[in-house]
Amino acid sequence: MTAPNDARLVVFGWNFRTAAGAIRERVAFTAEEIQEGLKGLVGRGLVSEGVIVSTCHRSEIYGLVGEEGAGEGLTRFVSEWRGLDPTQLAGAGFHRVGEEAARHLFRVAAGLDSMSLGESEVLGQVRRALLLAREAGATRTVLHRLFEWAVASGKRVRAETEIGMHPLSIPAIGFELAAKVFGDLSSRTILVLGAGETGRLFARHAAEAGVADLRIANRTAERAADAASGVGGRSVPWDSIAEELASADVVVGATASATPVVRRSEVEAAMHRRRGRPIFFLDLAVPCDIEDSVADVYNVYLHRVNDLEEVAEEHRRRRAREVPRAEEILEEELRRFLAWFGNLSVVPTVTDLRHRLSQMRDAELARAPEAERERLREFADALAARLLHEPMRRLKSETDPSKKLDRVEAIRHLFKLDEE
Amino acid sequence: MDWHFLGWLAVLLYVLAEALSIVSLLGPRASGFAPGLLGAALLLQFVDLQARARALGSVPYRTLAGSMSLFGWMLGVAYLALLFRHRERAIGPFLIPFVILFSAIGLLIPFQPSSPRPETQGVLFALHVTLAILAYAAFTLSFVLSLLYLVQSRQIRRAQTGVLFARLPALEVIGRMNRTAVAIGLWTLLVSVLLGAAWARRVWSGIGDAKLAWALFTLVVYGFLLWKDRRGWEGQRVALLSIAGFVLMIFSYTFVNLYFSQAHTFR
Repeated sequence: MTAPNDARLVVFGWNFRTAAGAIRERVAFTAEEIQEGLKGLVGRGLVSEGVIVSTCHRSEIYGLVGEEGAGEGLTRFVSEWRGLDPTQLAGAGFHRVGEEAARHLFRVAAGLDSMSLGESEVLGQVRRALLLAREAGATRTVLHRLFEWAVASGKRVRAETEIGMHPLSIPAIGFELAAKVFGDLSSRTILVLGAGETGRLFARHAAEAGVADLRIANRTAERAADAASGVGGRSVPWDSIAEELASADVVVGATASATPVVRRSEVEAAMHRRRGRPIFFLDLAVPCDIEDSVADVYNVYLHRVNDLEEVAEEHRRRRAREVPRAEEILEEELRRFLAWFGNLSVVPTVTDLRHRLSQMRDAELARAPEAERERLREFADALAARLLHEPMRRLKSETDPSKKLDRVEAIRHLFKLDEE
Repeated sequence: MDWHFLGWLAVLLYVLAEALSIVSLLGPRASGFAPGLLGAALLLQFVDLQARARALGSVPYRTLAGSMSLFGWMLGVAYLALLFRHRERAIGPFLIPFVILFSAIGLLIPFQPSSPRPETQGVLFALHVTLAILAYAAFTLSFVLSLLYLVQSRQIRRAQTGVLFARLPALEVIGRMNRTAVAIGLWTLLVSVLLGAAWARRVWSGIGDAKLAWALFTLVVYGFLLWKDRRGWEGQRVALLSIAGFVLMIFSYTFVNLYFSQAHTFR
């Protein structure tokens, strides 16, 4: 894509691989800042279209630029805007042009460039970045199409590979295992022991998964109440854990207690009251919250954080195995995008348009009497040349690359040049 | 129609359905063709069974071959019903082999039409045998579900999160399907035994038979299973009991028929 047309894609960014946290913090943008920045970039003519993707792990500025050397202009803009030293900023960032810039975005959207491989949040973040840019009036034909294409390709990768299938976080893995015991967990009762960071993390995960009956117990009742209110659960008294076991389906141990808080005898008593219905323990605490011998009680499932860390490692390997297939899909989509973008320039469009007009001419001539065809052909050619002359002249002399591409795109669309 | 063209065609479709369901079990997406193929195969086999019935001049299960075929067919129907009820396709690859096995055996066993004995003509007898075979099909389904329950439960305990883990239903769902299968098997077998007893009283004025004893024993085992399922045995114990019940049933279907029973020989 070293431009058959005059416009080039560029991306300039800082991510968790290239930039230290301190710099990333300085170039992390809020939604308002993104829109303000985009207006600045477009207003100063540094880019004719722009989108900024900003997440905790990356800040990337995508742009459509006319001439060479636009990268420096972009760095200067960001360094002035964020008050950072330009050389430091340039050293911590990366820079891609043309096909490489598009490929980078495709990989980002599909989660291939993420810290946790194959994660899905980035797809939504890319989509939001496009929406923000559109609201700011910073996108037109090319970046709009590029971002939509990247999101669609990311979805395709998720649907056709297992890259997003095997959960990597400990709460997610525990949740997946429990769901294979009970089926739908949203109608089940989940009891979280401990309102510390681990307990809260699991509670949040459960709440996001739609668990309605979420109970939290903690030695200090206030902390339990506080954690529960944050996730729409309810707190239960610390002394009542033994009774709660009779109704809880999933029990998560996440206390800082030095001795186990759930004993075998309590579980046996609870199992009697639950008529043998299974119970799933997830012990995320070190040292353990659930006594070892609890695992021997009939219909009890017990997993500890160490086992699940091994599973997480295995899942990471499985996701990594899917990368080549994901890349194949992205390359296929990228080729199609580049073909579209390559056609989006004046010369091939004029050629295609002439071709389309001569097709129309021939179709009409075929219906005319044999004797008149030669004369009619001359007339049709003269008319077509006359008709095309002014629009083509204006198209070629357009200086704003983005406007030029908009017009080319309009012609391609109106004359159905891409649908053959 | 001597060599059962339609019957073999049905078996071929079963094999295709099995292949497809294995592919969709292991692949990233479920294929919609397997249930359709299965439905078509069941239809063909039904027509074949009809042809047999005409040739015999009575219900087709008067012969061992016929009863095997009918059993395979009923199992297929039971699975299709389960599929529509629970929308769980992962059971197919493990169950369809049984359908193939019994249908093929039914076609391979030499078919010896003999003139039917007059007492095997009535509706009572037909219902008795049909329901018994339906009960066997339900118990076979329960057997397969129970094996899958044990496999899935083991995978959960060992945190093995592979393809089979992902595709097999949750224990709760397998358990519920098993409960349905056992309940259907239990009630149909009970009705079948009662009908058989009524028929035997009319024909022989006596109902003492080894097969009857086994059937009652089977009923007790499955009844106990359903009772304990709600009282602390839910899970692996119920699965093991269900497997034991199936072994009993197979014993009753084969050895008791061949060596012990006076009334239940095929003739």
